[in-house]
Amino acid sequence: MATELAQFAPKDYKSNLKPIWCAGCGDFGVLSALFKAMSICNFDPDNTVIVAGIGCSSRLPGFAKTYGFHGVHGRALPFATGIKTARPDLNVIVVGGDGDGYSIGGGHFPHCARRNPDITYLVMDNMTYGLTKGQVSPTSVIPRASLAAKLDSKRWKTTPYGMMEAPINPIAQAIAWDVSFIARGFSYKPNHLTDLIVAGLKHKGFALLDILSPCPTFNQDQTDDYLKDHTYDIPDDYDPTDRKQAFALSLDTDRFPLGIVYRNEGKPSLMDEVEFVQNRLAQNGPSSVEALLNRFR
Amino acid sequence: MLTSQETDVVIRLVGESGEGTVSLGDLTVQMLVAMGLEIYTYQTFPAEIKGGTVMYQIRAKSSAILSQGDYADIVVALNAEGFGLYGAGLREDGILLYDSDSYTPEAVPGRTDYALPMSTFARAAKDAVRHDVEPEQLKRLPAPKNIVGLGALLSLLNAPMQPAEEHIRTLFGRKGDTIVRMNLDALHSGAEHIAEQIGSRALPRIHAIERKGDRVTVNGNQMLAMGAIAGGLRFYAGYPITPATEIMEFLAKELPAFGGALIQAEDEIAALAMAIGASFGGKKAMTATSGPGFSLMVEEINLAGQAEIPVVVVDVQRGGASTGMPTKTSQGDLNLALYGVHNEQARIVLAASSVEDCFWTAVEAFNLAEAYQCPVILLSDQSVATLKCTIPPPDPSRVRTIDRLTPSASDQPYSRYEKTESGISPMSVPGMPNCSYVSTGIEHDEAGDPGYTPEIASTMKSKRFRKLETLREERSRDYVRLWGEPGCADVGIIAFGSTEGVLREATERARAQGLKVAHLHLRMLNPLPAKQVEEFAARCKTILVPELNYTGQLAGWLRVNTDIDFHSYCKDEGIPFIPNEIYEQIVALSSRRPALI
Repeated sequence: MATELAQFAPKDYKSNLKPIWCAGCGDFGVLSALFKAMSICNFDPDNTVIVAGIGCSSRLPGFAKTYGFHGVHGRALPFATGIKTARPDLNVIVVGGDGDGYSIGGGHFPHCARRNPDITYLVMDNMTYGLTKGQVSPTSVIPRASLAAKLDSKRWKTTPYGMMEAPINPIAQAIAWDVSFIARGFSYKPNHLTDLIVAGLKHKGFALLDILSPCPTFNQDQTDDYLKDHTYDIPDDYDPTDRKQAFALSLDTDRFPLGIVYRNEGKPSLMDEVEFVQNRLAQNGPSSVEALLNRFR
Repeated sequence: MLTSQETDVVIRLVGESGEGTVSLGDLTVQMLVAMGLEIYTYQTFPAEIKGGTVMYQIRAKSSAILSQGDYADIVVALNAEGFGLYGAGLREDGILLYDSDSYTPEAVPGRTDYALPMSTFARAAKDAVRHDVEPEQLKRLPAPKNIVGLGALLSLLNAPMQPAEEHIRTLFGRKGDTIVRMNLDALHSGAEHIAEQIGSRALPRIHAIERKGDRVTVNGNQMLAMGAIAGGLRFYAGYPITPATEIMEFLAKELPAFGGALIQAEDEIAALAMAIGASFGGKKAMTATSGPGFSLMVEEINLAGQAEIPVVVVDVQRGGASTGMPTKTSQGDLNLALYGVHNEQARIVLAASSVEDCFWTAVEAFNLAEAYQCPVILLSDQSVATLKCTIPPPDPSRVRTIDRLTPSASDQPYSRYEKTESGISPMSVPGMPNCSYVSTGIEHDEAGDPGYTPEIASTMKSKRFRKLETLREERSRDYVRLWGEPGCADVGIIAFGSTEGVLREATERARAQGLKVAHLHLRMLNPLPAKQVEEFAARCKTILVPELNYTGQLAGWLRVNTDIDFHSYCKDEGIPFIPNEIYEQIVALSSRRPALI
């Protein structure tokens, strides 16, 4: 797979902090795949920022030796957009969970898609809130209250009688918003995941990777074994540039297709637009505060 | 007292939004500026999307102006509703110029009324050229009602018509001679109609003067935006909100030419997040908002304090709680600026006190954010943001900018949050080799690694707050302004923000009557220059703390931080103070009686 000689090895991205995740957490697989992918892309850790929100997976920046930004819950995308717009020379990677990205931060997602900043977003989707110890998340798939056979108040702490809401479909939403690169990975398929992250990092624009990353402690339903049985590789003859086909694929919710679901390489990035305007105005020569004041004289 | 050749006139224009009140105001301002006069306007806009009553007050003076003035000498009322809402601002012996096509007010003893059939004259001017323009153009051609009003107003003021005529030629020249002629006709018809009515009646006169020095005619939002650029702003993100939007609109146009970038965010939370991200990346960044948006930013202001990221947050305060009164003014967000976090957090709070001060406070906001690596909240308000006035332009060559302290080669191994005496640690920016760290809101040790031990908790919190003590000690003196009596005073005024001009005018008026009045104006609210406040209070017998909110937020803050006693004077009506009401407060508190001149 990786044929080019990397100046930075995966271990060069590793910080001296030990991950705080539970044994068996899917996020270990994502961390290791990310380090491999950065190594393949030969990202200089000093020129790379990993941005996160709040949650189990959002602690990832601390385990990497790159620059990191661990902000507030749900706002990782706008923080990253600010960083990348101010510093287009940096590699900007965003990490977080399904609660951080699709619930509290869900309002930022479509707008990030509209802007299409050149950033890569890894959502470690464990279909639960892990850091607060096991509540439903927007991607949780548990029985609806009205469909539950019996009242079972043990397993899900804030929905003891079943869920009142339907889960969202992040892939279908992302296609609707025209996120310019959409892929789904699985932390228990590390090589496949590494390839997807590399493709995402190389994509010019906003890349979303929804990564099934099971929580062994608080999600006894979507376990690694369950997900192994409920995922399949997108066939080789699939054309991810066909948006209608991508929609059709995303609506298959019985099993999760793994691979690149959709890509739109023609969409200009926010950085392209900003740079274009700056360059065009620069042709008029530099502006000055004195020149601004002159308009009011 | 004014000499015969001096001018100090207050003109108040009221009318339906969209029927030319604002353009009549703008034209009048241009004419008065052309006469060499100083201008200070005060506007209230309707919150309605279309329609509603606009009030546009213009004070014209032959010397520097401190406030919008007290009562209007002339009210120009384009409709009955506007006169009903804002006519009370006319002095008892004032002049009312009204659109007699729209309504006829009841005569009031003492007041002089001038009737002007504005629509009739405007239509007549349009009719006169109907054969000289294409039928299609005629249909779209608005009748020049505001020009009729301008002619009448200039006539009332005994102002020369020539600058207005020249202005009309410039403004409409592109549209052809016929349109110029129509507008000149309108101007003259308004002027002549009023001239006929004046007769021997006394009028407030204005006199053209030769202007001493360079002037710009600007409002507070514009000055703040220019000050921000001068202070080094290179990234802005914001969400539209009245009355702060104009800052974003100005910067959207200008910032890219300075190599900067601007993003219209999906909400205020995203806006501040983007600004903080950009600053983490090494660019000087800002957002501007008003009350509701400021409320949404509170969590991230806390983060910027905790992670020690420089950022400037402008709050153009507006009237009322909740949605409140978006187009009115207030100083009601002081508490939110000072206290608005969970737990406690170090932040700097500045307040702009005038249109000119908006420029310099913006520069200072960036310098302090960079020097102390924390959020700086800059309080402006609707009145200073939207009022247009003539001021000497700030000299950009006088601007000194400060950049954050960055690590040097010897700072290895690098610790982002290194404990220092001042509390300030070198801040690396991404790209600097061997200086990576995680910028985090989680409690952390000197290296930035998460840590919850009692030692880390106390060390790091005191480090962040120590920066404010450093600032208080080093710079407090620079953030107070002293006016009025230099020595012992009977009445001392302590205030902040956009009330400075009104308070100075009231102070000067009282001093001219022999009262001993001093005024300390705070430009920085946190850290509070407590020593300067206490020294000031020590030389004043009585202290007055006037502010534009209901509960006395500055008063509360003074009680927390100082031992001084004072009288709190609060007004929370969506409008600024007028000099006279402050003057009356001074007289009431003073042991001396004013010498009535």
